[in-house]
Amino acid sequence: MSAQAQPVKRPVPEKPAPSARRSRVSLRERLAAWRDQHFYGFFSSLGRLAARPWASVLTVFVLGFALALPLLFWLVYDNARELSGGMREAREITAFLRPSLDAAEASALASELRKRVDVVDVVERTPAQGLAEFRQLSGFADALDALQDNPLPSVLVVTPRPGGNLDAPPLLGDLKADARVDLVQYDAAWRRKLSGILRLGERLIVVVASLLALATLLVIGNTVRMDIQARSAEISVMQTIGASNGFIRRPFLYEGFWYGLLGALVALLIVGAVESSLAEPIRALIDSYSQRFALHGVDVAVAAALVAASAAIGWFGAYAVTTRHLVAGRPR
Amino acid sequence: MIRFDNVTKRYQTGLDALAEVSFEIGTGEIVFVTGHSGAGKSTLLKLVSLAERPTRGQITVNERELARVRRSGIPQHRRGIGMVFQDHRLLTDRSVFDNVALPLLIAGTPRAEIGKRVRAALDKVGLLAREKASPVALSTGEQQRVGIARAIVAKPALIIADEPTGNLDPQLSLEIMNLFADFGAVGTTVLIATHDLFLLKRMRRRVLVLDRGRLVDDFHPEPAA
Repeated sequence: MSAQAQPVKRPVPEKPAPSARRSRVSLRERLAAWRDQHFYGFFSSLGRLAARPWASVLTVFVLGFALALPLLFWLVYDNARELSGGMREAREITAFLRPSLDAAEASALASELRKRVDVVDVVERTPAQGLAEFRQLSGFADALDALQDNPLPSVLVVTPRPGGNLDAPPLLGDLKADARVDLVQYDAAWRRKLSGILRLGERLIVVVASLLALATLLVIGNTVRMDIQARSAEISVMQTIGASNGFIRRPFLYEGFWYGLLGALVALLIVGAVESSLAEPIRALIDSYSQRFALHGVDVAVAAALVAASAAIGWFGAYAVTTRHLVAGRPR
Repeated sequence: MIRFDNVTKRYQTGLDALAEVSFEIGTGEIVFVTGHSGAGKSTLLKLVSLAERPTRGQITVNERELARVRRSGIPQHRRGIGMVFQDHRLLTDRSVFDNVALPLLIAGTPRAEIGKRVRAALDKVGLLAREKASPVALSTGEQQRVGIARAIVAKPALIIADEPTGNLDPQLSLEIMNLFADFGAVGTTVLIATHDLFLLKRMRRRVLVLDRGRLVDDFHPEPAA
């Protein structure tokens, strides 16, 4: 530090320096002074937090929880969206045939369907295949062994041609009307419901995050305001000896900045702890369905954005309350 | 250095703290302002430092008409004035050194220069050895000397002091006043509000006497026989 400041210490040259050079030096001095004042604000604000460790820690934890909540919501939403992403593409219509139909009759229906122009493909699943799949996924292998007959029907998985009325293609109606078909399952309808739920979740997160960002602003603003009140004598001394508003404001701005930054870090810790405590049961649950999906946590970009946004909120909150104090306290 | 032209200050209560006061103080002069409490001494000093604005009249400080100093220019104006208070107003959460360094930090003095000038100022008031102490650990007289070091560290052309010896015993008061006299000797203008008549006699400097807001006397005591 002192090594950097060395050049400006140089004694005034004996001959008056050319004005261009003098102004350059003075600009450099001004920059150095500006930097020094920011160092002052930076460190004195840390000193202020450290001077009241308990109060500071409490404030930081309140902020941490306030910020952790929307972050957790977001995580749930983001994972749910990803989970649904695979299903969003699914366009298959699943037709469960009447149990009384035998394999030949099922094949006949399948080839009938294949001739339709609005059908791309039909996959037949025999009751035996269905049972094997069920045995593998459900974990009821032992119970299934106890069964005498296979209770599962034949299943046709029909892929319709894309385009047209996706919500209720004519194919769907025809299948439902067919006497050989027991039950038709088409994912589009519930996919619409799912995306509706996801949209609601998205909106909910925006609302909750906005409210809690506001709470963060208020908590930091109020904390800084109390600190300003505790330091009003100091502020008035500074004003009488010529401190500008910027100089007085700067340590408080850094204070708000620190609260925001530390609060965000605590929020990340909280989310990390929640994640790691839930990761194991969630993974077990997911594994029992399929291996395609992996629970993901907060990535670096989101964490960085949270920290930056929170620090900015702290800075802004401190700016608002110091400005209010300085305006209220100035001489008429 | 300071000129008052028919200056009146009326507070919102309707009280005239100062009424049609005119005087002029030259560069390097040491001038006392005296009078009973409520005579307008503090108001006069506040007008010079722009803590208050006059209701009527014109004030010029260091060739600058104060009416033309806008609100944003007030900090800059105050940086040109060293201020000493009766209760010294030190910041108790930082060391003597940091207290004295504050005006330099505010003015944006280069860091390397700050150390030198703070030590020079502390040396001048005889407290160089105490730079790391907390102000609360000092005696009242020492605290006031730190306050004076803070006032002179930025080498202002004008020092104003409001009852700087109000809390001190006569011996300490005289020491403090002699400090101010030294600054006057090097060209700094010093304006001191006091009601300590004993000191006024000892110092033998120009005295402005206020009574209920009016300037009733402006004299220079003859050297005692």
